[in-house]
Amino acid sequence: MQVALKIWRYDSSTGNRALKEYEIDAPEEATLLDCLDIVKDKVDGSLAYRKSCRMMICGSCGMRMNGAAVLACKVRMYDIAQAGEIPTISAMGNLPIVRDLVVDMEPFWEKFKAMKPYLQPGYDRPEDGKEYRIPQERMNAIHKEALCINCGCCVSECNAMESDPEFLGPQALAKGMRFVGDPRDDATVERLEDYSGQHGIWECTRCYFCTERCPKGVDPREAIAKLGAEAIKEGVDRDMGAKHAKWFIRSTETTGWLRETELVPKTQGVVSSVKQMKFAMKLITHNKAGLSFPPHVARDVGEARGLHKLVQDQDRQGYLGHVQGEHALAKLAHGYQPGRDPYGPGSFPKPYLPGEEPTREPEGGA
Amino acid sequence: MRAAIAAHDAGADVVMISKLHPTRSHSGAAEGGINAALGNAAEDSPESHAFDTVKGSDYLGDQDSIEIFTREAPGDIYQLENWGAFFSRDEDGRLAQRPFGAAGSPRTIFAADITGHVLIQVLYEQVCKRDIKVYEEFFAWQLVVDDGRCQGVVCWDLLNGGLKTVGGKAVVLATGGAGRQYRATTNAYACTGDGTAMALRAGLPLKDMEFMQFHPTTLYPSGVLITEGCRGEGGFLINKDGERFMKRYAPNALELASRDVVSRSEQTEIDEGRGVHGSVMLDLRHLGAERIIERLPGSRENAQTFAGVDPIYEPIPVRPGAHYHMGGIETDSDGATELTGLYAAGECACVSVHGANRLGGNSLMETITFGRRSGTAAAEWALTQAAVNVTEAVEHDAKRELKQLLDRETGERPWKIRDELGETMLENFGVFRREEKMVRQEHVIQELRERYRNVHVEDKGDVFNSDLTQAIELGNMLDTAWCMVQAGVARKESRGAHARPHDYPTRDDANFLKHSISRWVDGKPELSYKEVRMGKWEPEERKY
Repeated sequence: MQVALKIWRYDSSTGNRALKEYEIDAPEEATLLDCLDIVKDKVDGSLAYRKSCRMMICGSCGMRMNGAAVLACKVRMYDIAQAGEIPTISAMGNLPIVRDLVVDMEPFWEKFKAMKPYLQPGYDRPEDGKEYRIPQERMNAIHKEALCINCGCCVSECNAMESDPEFLGPQALAKGMRFVGDPRDDATVERLEDYSGQHGIWECTRCYFCTERCPKGVDPREAIAKLGAEAIKEGVDRDMGAKHAKWFIRSTETTGWLRETELVPKTQGVVSSVKQMKFAMKLITHNKAGLSFPPHVARDVGEARGLHKLVQDQDRQGYLGHVQGEHALAKLAHGYQPGRDPYGPGSFPKPYLPGEEPTREPEGGA
Repeated sequence: MRAAIAAHDAGADVVMISKLHPTRSHSGAAEGGINAALGNAAEDSPESHAFDTVKGSDYLGDQDSIEIFTREAPGDIYQLENWGAFFSRDEDGRLAQRPFGAAGSPRTIFAADITGHVLIQVLYEQVCKRDIKVYEEFFAWQLVVDDGRCQGVVCWDLLNGGLKTVGGKAVVLATGGAGRQYRATTNAYACTGDGTAMALRAGLPLKDMEFMQFHPTTLYPSGVLITEGCRGEGGFLINKDGERFMKRYAPNALELASRDVVSRSEQTEIDEGRGVHGSVMLDLRHLGAERIIERLPGSRENAQTFAGVDPIYEPIPVRPGAHYHMGGIETDSDGATELTGLYAAGECACVSVHGANRLGGNSLMETITFGRRSGTAAAEWALTQAAVNVTEAVEHDAKRELKQLLDRETGERPWKIRDELGETMLENFGVFRREEKMVRQEHVIQELRERYRNVHVEDKGDVFNSDLTQAIELGNMLDTAWCMVQAGVARKESRGAHARPHDYPTRDDANFLKHSISRWVDGKPELSYKEVRMGKWEPEERKY
């Protein structure tokens, strides 16, 4: 098939960027990575990009296609080429470009290392010198985080990082969750303190781009939410983000609705709120801030309180309540259609052992 | 990484050099698991593991090394688990173990089907914890040999350009395999036998180079790996009629016979016209959605992405593909090579644990156990030595050679030579081997090497010049491929992965129960032989 690509080239010696178009002939099963290989082999040997496993596990070939981060080895080109589209390929975002599609991953790994990304087991070692005993359900709860291949696609897309390059970012925080959620790790509180700083958990803007673009289903945003829940459960809540979230809980628990007027002082503290009095007065004059006392209580507040009690009774505060093991695995079930018969009409013949009768006439295969 | 950690813990000052970032290494693509006789799922012992390994090796493995290997494996597994490896669990919360090919007991510890990925992560975590310096994206090119010992490595700095020489009292090579010599392979683009070729050119002996394992389940058409764990979990191999043909080749073990046996059976089915698009089918449908999703999600994702097939509803088209090189740099059981100060571990080394055929799940274990042993041994040696002295002449020579390559303004692009090598190796030195085809392949390789002398690197720049490194990699593949084919022609028997059904269909212990040794002498490989270190197990007929 004929494939056309536009590639943003970057010459590191001159600092020049240029969008160049390439047209190649590729086999029908070709991926974006295969197409780049063909360009490099046959058209321009100076095209620079990273690659290795070509099976979505090494994390080398993160780049952008039409502005969205992808793993080049995961993108099949057939439909794109058939539709006559000419996708634009460029380097990942939020990281300095070294050359063409190669970015400098150093800032990425610095943040990874800032998470203390290794098990801190404390003194509680297995007595028999063998393995820790851990139920599979506890491992399932961090299964998605363990899938991360450090490709950088989430970092490339992170809106919070774009405004604050020091934000720890989705990949590092997902790695952090992988240890916070590991029953063998004994440094949960220290970690949550570390991760709750100015550039930590609460700086995420919840845009979900990381989750959307992650090629492995890691769900970094969900990992950050799990960290937040666990931080509040462990009482690590000095950050304004945590206080903000806590007020949502407290407010809905007491009156069944969100009392926004109190949100600012509860989040920022009284002193800081006083400075915003001018703004508050304007809100009041426009009837945007309720000042009724005692505050209005929602009619069905009992339901909200019952819900809170249920969470507590079932001990579902923290990350384990946020996501159960089955939930983590459900993501892996993409495309599964319960009820569809794998041996139905048109399917591949059913297996049989030599000497047995074939159960059904073969239909020529899949 | 395991060697670096061990050397660091033994008190040495360590740097790691890698042409990729360490987590990008192809060990991460290993899926199914890692073997150690923990006995969690059924009764098991290191002796039983050793026997299965010896038998699997078709009696070409060195039995003293194998016994060390199986004895130390359980401790290494517990260590990895205690470091935080994300392994799957059984009902009691212990490490789960699944059955694998040619194993007498369910012995394979796993993490769903991302075991290699999990190990890479835990090792890199430990590297970070120890703050071990890593020269990332340094392409190792030549060994520095001076005064009869190895004193460092000359590298090309990919990110910044330029040659960088890293001196060291001891060097451990852990550069992996060379599956890219074949068109159909599970191996990453990075698997080009760089360390093996460096050692070869430094005059070191390579052992058992003719033994290339063909994995029975590589996905059609892309060649990526579908784990043996699929069969470990109960998957069937069927031909175009749905027949579980393995019953005819390995009546007891069926799909879980050793890899060489399964690959040959598949190839026979395909050659005799019972395949589908040059493949057979791996059928998981009867396992059910839940088990596939929990235990084999990566294989399902690969099948969906690269073949458009969902294994819950359809069988997966698979065929044998080049997977693992049993041969490599000859080492003792501490990873030491013939050259003082040089060690090797993992796929680039030949200890030899795998002999003529490796068992699934033994390669990850080998990288860990012998990685640790070689790292410790290298550190112990280094700590007794005075500083190294790398003369400027070394880098100077390398620079001149590099300049020659970069200054060439015309010539042939590497891809054509690379593709022809891949195609002909598969055709002439694949699952089944014929004398005349192997001899022809020796000529093909020599002709390709001639053409390679005139290879043209288009990119002349310093920054991320992968055009240059890919050209050097091709040279590495050509040299090691020559050793393989030469040793293959000379081994006039069928043993393990070296199958000659047309002229020498059986094993010949009288003449060939010995290791092939390849050395580079005067610009070509020279072959000799060495005794196999036997132990308690005498060769017997191999049946599954």
